[in-house]
Amino acid sequence: MQGFPERGGPGPGPGPNDLAHLQATMHTIELACASIQMHINPAAAEATILSLCQSPQPYKSCQFILENSQVPDARFQAAAAIRDAAIREWGFLTADDRRSLLSFCLSFVMQHASSNEGFVLAKVSSVAAQLMKRGWLDTTAVEKEAFFNQVNQAVLGIHGLDVQFTGVNFLESLVSEFSPSTSSAMGLPREFHEQCRRSLEIDYLKMFYCWARDAALSVTNRIVESKSEVPEVKVCNAALRLMLQILNWDFHLNNNSVKTSINVFSAGARLDIDSSKRSECTLVQPGPAWRDVLISSGHIGWLVNLYAALRQKFSREGYWLDCPIAVSARKLIVQFCSLTGTIFLSDNGQMHEHHLLQLLSGIIEWIDPPEAVAKAIGCGKSESEMLDGCRALLSIANVTTPFVFDRLLMSIRPFGTLTLLSTLMCEVVKVLMSTYPEEETWSWEARDILLDTWTALLVPLDSTGGNAMLPPEGINAAGNLFALIVESELKAASSALTDDVDGDYLQSSISAMDERLSSYALIARAAIHVAIPLLTKLFSERFARLNQGRGIIDPTETLEEVYSLLLIAGHVLADEGEGETPLVPYAIQTYFTDNMGADEHPVIVLSSSIIGFAEQSLDPKMRASVFSPRLLEAVIWFFARWSCTYLMNPEEVRETQSQDHQLQSQQLRKGLHSFFREHNQGKLVLDIIVRVSVTTLLSYPGEKDLQALTCYQLLHALVREKHICVHLVSLDSWRNLANAFANEKSLFLLDLAHQRSLAQTLVHSASGLINSEASNQYIRDLMGHMATYLRELSSKNDLKSVAQQPDIILLVSCVLERLRGVATASEPRTQKAIYELGFSVMNPILVLLEVYKHESAVVYLLLKFVVAWVNGQISYLEAHETAIVVDFCMRLLQLYSSHNIGKISVSLSSSLLSEAKTEKYKDLRALLQLLSSLCSKDMVDFSSDSIETQGTNISQVVYFGLHIVTPLISLDLLKYPKLCHDYFALLSHLLEVYPETVAQLNSEAFVHVLGTLDFGLHHQDAEIIDMCLRSLKALASYHYKETASGKTGLGLHAAGHKDSGGNLQEGILSQFLRSLLQLLLFEDYSPDLVGSAADALLPLILCEQGLYQRLGNELIERQANPTLRSRLVNALQSLISANQLSSTLDRINYQRFRKNLNNFLIEVRGFLRTM
Amino acid sequence: MSDSEEHHFESKADAGASKTYPQQAGTIRKNGYIVIKSRPCKVVEVSTSKTGKHGHAKCHFVGIDIFNGKKLEDIVPSSHNCDVPHVNRTDYQLIDISEDGFVSLLTENGNTKDDLRLPTDDSLLSQIKDGFADGKDLVVTVMSAMGEEQICALKDIGPKN
Repeated sequence: MQGFPERGGPGPGPGPNDLAHLQATMHTIELACASIQMHINPAAAEATILSLCQSPQPYKSCQFILENSQVPDARFQAAAAIRDAAIREWGFLTADDRRSLLSFCLSFVMQHASSNEGFVLAKVSSVAAQLMKRGWLDTTAVEKEAFFNQVNQAVLGIHGLDVQFTGVNFLESLVSEFSPSTSSAMGLPREFHEQCRRSLEIDYLKMFYCWARDAALSVTNRIVESKSEVPEVKVCNAALRLMLQILNWDFHLNNNSVKTSINVFSAGARLDIDSSKRSECTLVQPGPAWRDVLISSGHIGWLVNLYAALRQKFSREGYWLDCPIAVSARKLIVQFCSLTGTIFLSDNGQMHEHHLLQLLSGIIEWIDPPEAVAKAIGCGKSESEMLDGCRALLSIANVTTPFVFDRLLMSIRPFGTLTLLSTLMCEVVKVLMSTYPEEETWSWEARDILLDTWTALLVPLDSTGGNAMLPPEGINAAGNLFALIVESELKAASSALTDDVDGDYLQSSISAMDERLSSYALIARAAIHVAIPLLTKLFSERFARLNQGRGIIDPTETLEEVYSLLLIAGHVLADEGEGETPLVPYAIQTYFTDNMGADEHPVIVLSSSIIGFAEQSLDPKMRASVFSPRLLEAVIWFFARWSCTYLMNPEEVRETQSQDHQLQSQQLRKGLHSFFREHNQGKLVLDIIVRVSVTTLLSYPGEKDLQALTCYQLLHALVREKHICVHLVSLDSWRNLANAFANEKSLFLLDLAHQRSLAQTLVHSASGLINSEASNQYIRDLMGHMATYLRELSSKNDLKSVAQQPDIILLVSCVLERLRGVATASEPRTQKAIYELGFSVMNPILVLLEVYKHESAVVYLLLKFVVAWVNGQISYLEAHETAIVVDFCMRLLQLYSSHNIGKISVSLSSSLLSEAKTEKYKDLRALLQLLSSLCSKDMVDFSSDSIETQGTNISQVVYFGLHIVTPLISLDLLKYPKLCHDYFALLSHLLEVYPETVAQLNSEAFVHVLGTLDFGLHHQDAEIIDMCLRSLKALASYHYKETASGKTGLGLHAAGHKDSGGNLQEGILSQFLRSLLQLLLFEDYSPDLVGSAADALLPLILCEQGLYQRLGNELIERQANPTLRSRLVNALQSLISANQLSSTLDRINYQRFRKNLNNFLIEVRGFLRTM
Repeated sequence: MSDSEEHHFESKADAGASKTYPQQAGTIRKNGYIVIKSRPCKVVEVSTSKTGKHGHAKCHFVGIDIFNGKKLEDIVPSSHNCDVPHVNRTDYQLIDISEDGFVSLLTENGNTKDDLRLPTDDSLLSQIKDGFADGKDLVVTVMSAMGEEQICALKDIGPKN
């Protein structure tokens, strides 16, 4: 590698000797660039270029190359080198050096404005922007003004079009450099970037905007008047882009101008609770200061007219729909639609409305009339203008209420905006229907944007759940649209079955589909009086068709239509609960028509007809001919969703909401609510649901997806509410299910995880029984057989040979998974029975662990059962019970360890070997979870007596366990992220809570534990490093406190000792002090970790003061530069003395040290790392 | 709950000689065993799909032959039965490795078993030989299924006295 020695910094012109040297450097770099381009030995060439960047003060060479080289790539690299070197050496460049570098870059771009190597200019201009920013806080306002004056001259066009263009581009780089999301790293804290951002926003941003506007204005006339493309277009386009960029700025000032100090961590997150309905949409809120520029000056009118003029030219040479200037202008117009906030006067929104109307009058040309637009696109016109029109509608919808949105268009068209939106979307849906199922076309994108628009309009505005109401015309528009949407979905469904859709593709599209369906549901609810009867009608047509055509015609098409309808109906009728109990949607709560009895309520009619249809699946003949697994999946999904909202809904009708409605509506809503409640149809419906569920489990062998839905969604949802459980346990159908579960062979054929979930569900339903005894008895009846089976099996004489039979393995696995399901459902009420159940199989478990030691799948199930059981039980156990359980766990651990330690799998297949490793990882993870559960006994204990009475010391138990487990955990296994996480979580917990027991570990185990800690410190995951730092803190502070009070602390572990080779080994605390300092000063880590690193470093330094001094001296000696050296000395000194730091380990002291470390790192890390 | 159904848990004690057992395809899981093309395999991947939109589920198995490590695949309707091999594993203490590629193993009842060949693959062979040469006390696990047997694991149980 070649270095570039340099004499002196930027100064007067080169002497004759220098010249030769400069030329040599230039030549080398040019060669390197050429060889990269031609791909000859690129590594060496890169090294050459890198050495230019890294050489001290390479500015003169770089400037020489920029000015003289004929190779653009070399100039580009020279600019990059200036940037790298200047940012690195900024601290010791003189003010003049800095200024001259900056002005060099700027005058370079201005002088070469007409060159056609745009990328070099862009690079130099961005280097200038970065230098500007680096010195921003040290530069006085006067200096900045002088500098910006030059830029302004350029932007105004005094020096010609090219320079004007370059000036605008420079401003663009500058703004992007100051915007936090696009700024480049400079090795400075976030506060710096935040201060720069703030300063630019306050003092310059608006000025830049005006310059850009003036630049654009100055060339507008030329563009509008000329018949063909003119060079001014380039400037205008750049100015439009700059304006768009400035409007994309994340404005803060108007929001939190009250705050004086900058909180860098919250400054990024904006709290626009009042104005934004959806988190994703970006709103432009520059605040009142911008009113004159953006609103009152006729700026919008100019922009709209400019685009209108451009539209006229599209047929001519040089302009077309997607030409850069047209695209920029449209983007800017769309961006203006998102303008909102205090920039508008608080005059009831009139100013805002006027603003939007002005924009809309331009935009309307892009999308109206929809049929003509769609037709033109069909004939080959570019769709980008239409899509931008849709985006503009979306932006407007995000800043207005539905009423205002609708009213906007009224003044220029005979219909409202909602009608336009609806017709536009109808056109899009029609196009979709005609092209389906072709690859993605523009209509997909348009549909998604327009759906988002509807969502933005219709999503409830506030937490009260009241939907935004639409004006009557809008409701009709929504109704028409929904009808068309349903038609298109049905058509898509029936036409899609011929093509054999790939399963994976289907899975991945489901979530996207889900989102789409919930948008449809919003539209449907907006026009609820049309939507519900429509769905009812469509359902009854399809049901009738299925019944008539049974056995005669192929039902597949209709089945698929019913499938789609079920999904749509589910979304319209009920919301996703996500674990909560969802309310009846507001639109449905307030939906009623005149003269209607309770059971004629359209929602009840629709629900009843679906339930009635589902009930037919109980008939074997119907099942065979109609109810395919897929159709039943939709039914089960619908039941799960629907029953959360409607079935036995305990919610009383909220009186507060009904005050403004008539009495009649109140009664109707009560009718809707109570219809499916316990004394009405509720119990009947519950029975049907249970019977259909049992059918899916018993009569659809091997249909895992269907059964998964039944087990996880439907049944889990049913047992979540106690008042439903009360009814469940009284149903014959539920008793049949429990009976089948305990005895029927076919339920042993379910997927193992499903069986586990079923066991859990059944145990949960026991909460519906009258008292605790009944619940416990229920569990004994349910599981008694299975426990007995395990006991009998384990006591068989020929167990060893029998156990290996596949059918026995399957049965044992099933029983274990069921036991685990039961164990996870532990509740105080059923705790007793579940404890007894686990107690009765403790010995069989150990026997089976021995027998199945080679059958890893079974071993894992065994461990998982024990983990779940201990986790559910431990906090309730009395002292003697705890002793038994702890003893059992230790025997389990020892047995597992004796089977696995030192075992090597031998196989030809690498995938089988890696499987074996994965299995080991899963086992170990389970064991760690077991230890963690045991640990929790010390924290949460509901038993009546203290565990100490039986002489059980949890900390010792867990250490003993750790002792058994750690040898099995190799550093290789710690590469599994979850295992790693669990392991360090346990370790840090142990070290924090019971540091005294760690000293008791023997030295081999101790070294192993700390070896893993060292590994964790260098992990990538910040959370794991954090846990390791916490462990270190605990360890070191324990030792410090103990030794201070005259005890041994960590004793031998902390002291240095001689190893077998006679070399002096450092004590562990010294080792950690060394590696922690190394990490902090020289390695990469997340800044969030500095706090916990400080907490660990303080006690380490206090323990090992001598070593700290030595390390500090080493650092200082390595530093050659005298200024930096003195800085380092001071920093090291103030790290341990500033802020009245004392040598105690209390909270205040830790806090002080955190501050000190932060300052220390800011002060020295920059140059230590880069030099 | 009825108590007359206990017989379901009774095993077929006399079936020990059978090499394979039928088992419903839907219940065969990853990490279980399956016979594909008359070879005993360990299942490393199971996926389910449907025959047509409204058809029944079928399982797609990817298995690795437990003896030769070759990958095999099969598709079975999930309600049908598959054959599952009876895989037996026995631990023996390793007494000797002979020149001609056979091992000598000590059985539980004190006899020796001398009919097992060492694997032919070099790396496996060296794993076993190295361990033995180091003078460690080795226990080998022999896996047998469908009339074939092979060493599948070894374990160090401490230094030889």
